[in-house]
This record gives sequence, structure tokens and C-alpha cells, in this order.
Amino acid sequence: MRGTAVLLTLALLAMIVGHYLVFEWAPIEAKMGVVQKIFYYHVNSAFMCYLGFLVCFAGSLAYLYNRKGRWDALALAGAEVGLVFGLIVLVTGPIWARAAWGVWWKWEPRLTSMALMALMFCAYWVLQTFGGAGEGVRRLAAGIAVFATPNIFFVRIAVQRWGGLHPELEDKSSGGLHPDMRVTFSVVGLILLLTFIVFLRMRYRMHFQERQVAAVRRRLQRIGVEA
Amino acid sequence: MTYASTYRAVLSKDLRIELRSRETVVTLAFFAVVLALVFTFGFSADETTNRMIFPGCLWAIVLFAGTLATGRTFAREAREGAFQALVLSPAHRGALLAAKTTLNFGLSLFVMLIAAPLLAVLLRVDATPHLLELGVQLVLGSLGFALVGTPLAVVAVHARFAEVLLPMLVFPLVTPVIIGGVAATAGTLGTTPDQDIGPWIQLLLAFDVVYGVGGQVVFDQMVTE
Repeated sequence: MRGTAVLLTLALLAMIVGHYLVFEWAPIEAKMGVVQKIFYYHVNSAFMCYLGFLVCFAGSLAYLYNRKGRWDALALAGAEVGLVFGLIVLVTGPIWARAAWGVWWKWEPRLTSMALMALMFCAYWVLQTFGGAGEGVRRLAAGIAVFATPNIFFVRIAVQRWGGLHPELEDKSSGGLHPDMRVTFSVVGLILLLTFIVFLRMRYRMHFQERQVAAVRRRLQRIGVEA
Repeated sequence: MTYASTYRAVLSKDLRIELRSRETVVTLAFFAVVLALVFTFGFSADETTNRMIFPGCLWAIVLFAGTLATGRTFAREAREGAFQALVLSPAHRGALLAAKTTLNFGLSLFVMLIAAPLLAVLLRVDATPHLLELGVQLVLGSLGFALVGTPLAVVAVHARFAEVLLPMLVFPLVTPVIIGGVAATAGTLGTTPDQDIGPWIQLLLAFDVVYGVGGQVVFDQMVTE
């Protein structure tokens, strides 16, 4: 418990430093102005989102083959934290797009694959959370997480060709970033990574303990103790 | 029980039940007709517009009717613990999946056999010069849909809210099939500037192969008694 509190406080303080760097220290971008500051959060959150889904994929794969509850708990925690960051990406993305392209949404490969991936893991999360508590549901969810992952490549290929009419992909991360901007970007990335780890740890512990309690309860029921 | 004998046993059992009761076939056929009518009421306009919306309507029917069929995949097994018995038996689970996928694929094709001509007539789209291309696209697309949807249909055996969960799970996963199918059909009918349908067919084929193999690998671990 104490570890979590320390980590949370650290992340919170770091976040304040991060906000200062983004809004005060980093220079304002010439072309887009203040809106460009979204980039520090948007792109880094996208990394964290991918990381969360990667954790979910790896945890699910491990769970399918060794059936240890803690892998399932890790997978679910990864999906949840990934979804939170995915939500940040999908909220900041349109704001950015509105300023950069003049539209709220564009059927661009990166945007579309992110949205669809978030939808898939949303379905995974709904299944895990509301589908019931049996092992059948857990196994099924893990299978779906593994099954869904290769789909990302298909979505990207399909959307890339489909949206081929406007291929001007403005690469947000390259193209003459001011060194101060680069530093700010990396620092915010590290802060979000810290936040990611804190959240993941909290959710993982919670889900793991839930599974342990359920296991104990089942054992008690088997020997005839009311619990 | 070998792979082939399990496959044959499950498929022939399902086919026999279906041929005797005809419940899924009849329901699906009516559903497809209703969908075609709804799309016509909703979108029908002049010749050019109809030709442009035809691919979207066609693949929306694949999606909706396919989901309806998929949801019923394990409907009979879910009752009376038959699914548990199947999973506990030494029968090869991959073969069970393959048999169910074949049935769903067949049902999808049957639906399209009714819906596609009907939609073409209602929207006054003359597709007769492109029957072969459209057939290939529908076969590959329906197969992709069945390959993704069938393993996920186990959700109906284990989970609550399955009727909501299944479309939630299947729709994002089959997006590549829908995009590829719509683009290929539009290219065939000549309504888009991009008329090279080769890459789309390749995409559908690759999707079918990956999910055909992936389903066989994952399904075994995915189901429990």
C-alpha cells in the first residue's frame, strides 16, 4: 500500500513539472501556435496505449498456455490502462486534427487503426468485466486478445489503400523540432510511463487479489463452508 | 476420432438438423430480404447513386446476416451441457471449429445467393457482366467473416450479454474484410477511381489464411468445459 502511495505522489509531482515544461518552458510552435502543445500528450499517450495493449496481448498469451490467474490479471490491467490512454489519444487527436487539417476526423491509417484497436480492447474489457466470472469467460477473453492482435496489420493495410486518395501524412514526430521541444517531449513521455506503471500496478494487484478471493471462496464451498 | 471424422460428424449432424427444421435458413433468408428492402427504402435514388451505394449495402448484408447466423452457432450445444460434453470428449477441437465454420460459411453464401440478386434488382444495378468477380469477392469475404466470427461465437456459451457482446467483438475484427470487400466491389462496378481490385483480393485471401490458421491454433486453448 505504501509503495503505491509513494509512486502516486511521485507521478503527481512529476506531472506538475511536466505541465510546467509543456506550457511555460517549451517554445510556442510558429505555424500552429498553442495547439501544438497537445502533441506532447497526444503522441506519448499513443505510445502508452500501444504499450498497454501489448501487455494485454502478452499476458493473454501467457494465460492461455499456463493458465495462471496472475497473467490474466496482468492482461486485464494492461487493457484497462491502455484504454485510458487510448481515450486520451482519441480525445486529443480530433482537437489536433481540427487545428492541423481543419477537420475533426480524417480516415487516416494511424487514426483509424487506433480507433479500431481501442474498440477491440473495449470489447475485451466489456467481456471481462460484465461477461461473468467463470473461467470460460477468462479463457475466451484471452483468446480474443490474442486473436485480435494480427488484425491491426490488416486494418492498417486496408485503410492505407482505401484512404489512398489523400496520402499526405504529416509526420508529427519528425521535421525540425526545436531541441527544447524534444526535451519536453521525452520528459512528458517518461512521466506518462511512470503514470502507466503506477496504474498498471494498482489494477494488476486489484484483479489478482480478486481472483485469489474467488479461488478461496470456491475452495471453501467445495468443503462445505458457507462463505 | 480423427480430425476428418470429427469434422464430418459435427457437420453432418448440423446439416441434418438444419435440413429437417430449416429454422436458420428460413429466418436468415427473410432477414436478408428485409435488409435489402430497408436499404432500398433508405438510399435508393438515381442510377449513378444506386451504383455507388450498392457495394456498401451488399457488404452490410454480409455483416448483419452473418452476425445473426454466427450467434446461433453453438445455440444447440449450449443447452443441456452438450458443449461441455463435446469439449470433454477426445474429439479434436480444431475439427469442431472447422465444421462450425463451414456451416456458417455455407449459411452466409446461401443468404448472399438470395440477397445479392434481390438488391441488384431493387437498386436497378446491372451486375451481370461481373458475376464471376463478385462471386469470388463474396466467397472470400464470407469465408473471412465465418473464420473470425465462429470461434468468437463461444461467447454465447459462457458469457452474459452475449447477443450484445458478439457484434461488439466481431464488427471491429472484420473491418478489413468490409473495407476490402466494399472497395473490390466498387472497383468491379467501376464506381471508384481505384479500379485495380487485385490488391483487395490479396488482402481478403491473406485475411482468410491468417484467421483460418489463427483460429485453429487459438481455439484449442480458448474453450473450456
